[in-house]
Amino acid sequence: MATMPAQPAAWLPPLPPGWTEHKAPSGHTYYYNKETKKSTYTRPIVDVQSVPSPVVAPPTIPFNPLAGAKVNADASQPFPVQTHFDGNIHPERFNNLQRGGAESHGCQRGGFNQHRGGHRGGYNDFAERRRQPQDRPKHRYDIPNCAPWVLVKTKLGRRFVWNQDTNESFWTFPGHVLKGVVEFDRIEREKRERRERGDPSEDEDETMAEIEAELAAAEEKMQAEMIEVDGDVGMEDEEEYEEVEVTDDEGEEGAEPSAKRQRTEEPQGQPEDETMEMGEDDIAWQLAAMEEQYEDEEEGLPLTDEDCKALFKELLDDTGLSPYTPWDKIIDDGILFDDERYKALGSMKARKECFDEWGRDKMQFLKEQKAKQQKLDPRIPYLGLLHRLATPKLYWPEFRRKYKKEPEMKDTKLPDKDKEKLYRDHIKRLGMKPSELKSDLSALLKAQSLASLNRSSTLDTLPTSILTDLRFVSLPASTRDSLIETYISTLPPAPDNAAASAEEEAEVAKRRAERERREKALADRERRVREEKRRQERELAYGKGRLREEEMEIERAMKVGKDGLRAQLGSFGGDGQVREAPSGE
Amino acid sequence: MPPIRTAGRGRKPPPEGFEDIEDTLLEFQNKMRDAENAPHEGKKRYETLWPIFQITHQRSRYIYSLYYEKEAISKQLYDWLGKNGYVDLGLVAKWKKQGYEKLCCVKCIQTKETNFRSTCVCRVPREQLKEGQEVQCVSCGCRGCASSD
Repeated sequence: MATMPAQPAAWLPPLPPGWTEHKAPSGHTYYYNKETKKSTYTRPIVDVQSVPSPVVAPPTIPFNPLAGAKVNADASQPFPVQTHFDGNIHPERFNNLQRGGAESHGCQRGGFNQHRGGHRGGYNDFAERRRQPQDRPKHRYDIPNCAPWVLVKTKLGRRFVWNQDTNESFWTFPGHVLKGVVEFDRIEREKRERRERGDPSEDEDETMAEIEAELAAAEEKMQAEMIEVDGDVGMEDEEEYEEVEVTDDEGEEGAEPSAKRQRTEEPQGQPEDETMEMGEDDIAWQLAAMEEQYEDEEEGLPLTDEDCKALFKELLDDTGLSPYTPWDKIIDDGILFDDERYKALGSMKARKECFDEWGRDKMQFLKEQKAKQQKLDPRIPYLGLLHRLATPKLYWPEFRRKYKKEPEMKDTKLPDKDKEKLYRDHIKRLGMKPSELKSDLSALLKAQSLASLNRSSTLDTLPTSILTDLRFVSLPASTRDSLIETYISTLPPAPDNAAASAEEEAEVAKRRAERERREKALADRERRVREEKRRQERELAYGKGRLREEEMEIERAMKVGKDGLRAQLGSFGGDGQVREAPSGE
Repeated sequence: MPPIRTAGRGRKPPPEGFEDIEDTLLEFQNKMRDAENAPHEGKKRYETLWPIFQITHQRSRYIYSLYYEKEAISKQLYDWLGKNGYVDLGLVAKWKKQGYEKLCCVKCIQTKETNFRSTCVCRVPREQLKEGQEVQCVSCGCRGCASSD
């Protein structure tokens, strides 16, 4: 409080009769009424507006220069009650004041009502109840060359400075800190300008800070008035808010001790002149700060167009779609909509383009893969069929008719001519002696190179050249398999080429890492967008609230008739009391 | 007695790559069957043909894009598909020409069959239509297939 510029008291209007001015140990000025045993921080004056309706006009800058000083004091000292030293002072009084004109008016017992509706009007209070819990410290910036002092920005975009060492905080910046803040603003502005010029070196993680700075610049001008006009929006928070709730009952004598105790407990062990109390609010702020740091790290991930495309392609990959599916069908079926990555691309056109691109690549890839596989394919299943089913008892046409339903027989890749030829040869070979067949098989095995057939190969991984040979299927499986196995066991191990596989693995790992990065970036973007949206909504709501308030203020101002003038001209004591009497009890 | 048509003789098996697009073509086939068997009550006489034209267009477009744009199917397969009636080759021939890239059906550019020796209204670019004018052509239900749209 010591730093608060005290408003010159010289031109203050005189106190109404019964009220006396006192100084609290903390340096506050407060006012005490001996008759009603009430105390208030707001200077009671003769009610100029003389309460035309239960709702009492609030103090506002345009109408009353006094209000500035008064509200200013409120803003910087949200718990004036902690400085009570007199048991006679009723906390309810204060709270009634806080709660606004309507209620305080109601519970005045024959006293006068010259406190001008407390430091907030009834309308104001309503708006506050809604808004208050929302304003809390949000961001924290270091002020250059002002070591213990940090600049804290609240959720509503207001700023104050906080001394980390002494735990002091002020809405108005003390002189030496002010220089630092100005310096800080300048740096911020420069950063923003650099950014506007499209300097790519500035990362995206600055975005938030930049937006903040923009807001700050806009509000910088308003700051002074802001603090004065609705200083009470600021740091008074739930605790004060709770007090209002606690003292809701009218029986003040009964409620007093508990309410008082509660109040005195809270600010215990705090310097008198501090504004920011260590409470729920502070913890929330620290949490926010931590979150902030975390976010700063995270938001370093940029999301480029290629990344968006890659994300979408990954989505297509993951859904296991065939690249031959028409795009219209995919859209009609709505397979993709559920995934977050669907939104990576903004427009349907872009998505279709991306899909086409993906399809082209994928088809190419599939074609290549098939070309690789195709070499070993055509005759192997057919020979397997022959091995299982062919008997010398059936001629080719009979065999074909009998087994025409088999997929191997239906397979069009192998022409009928080849099938027939293979069948006939196979039947011919089945009539040969087993010893001959065995020697043929061993000849076939010996003909294989060491690279294709070696110790590590098994029956399942035999090379194609063996599998497509008739000599391989001529023997029954039992004798053939044992023969092959024994032959394989005599072979030396394969020539080493493990290096290639290691390279492939590295490739795969790299791709996976890339993919993870992209997904993270997408999530970041989503969150940023959400945050931005929330911020905008909040600002909109806040702006609306203020607008409404101002409108009401204007409305109320319009209502002021001649009463105020009359009261000012003379007979204020009488006038106020006359008006007070009917509505007092 | 007409010759019995079997899959084996006289019919070439589909070339390489047919199995990739087989599912989609089957779907088109089913759709076409549904459209053919759909009830005609409450429809204009010409309206019953619209879905047929639409499905033909879609299927042709599908194969056209696979062959010409994505180059995903082989020439053999494309020819085979054309021969077996999966593609309207006349329509595809038009699509390859400038100004006809989005043509809905060949009937719509057949000037000789219209009263004023002109193309169908769906060929008119949207900017030349009156403001807010909605068109749907009688022959195939097209709502506009000018290349500039």
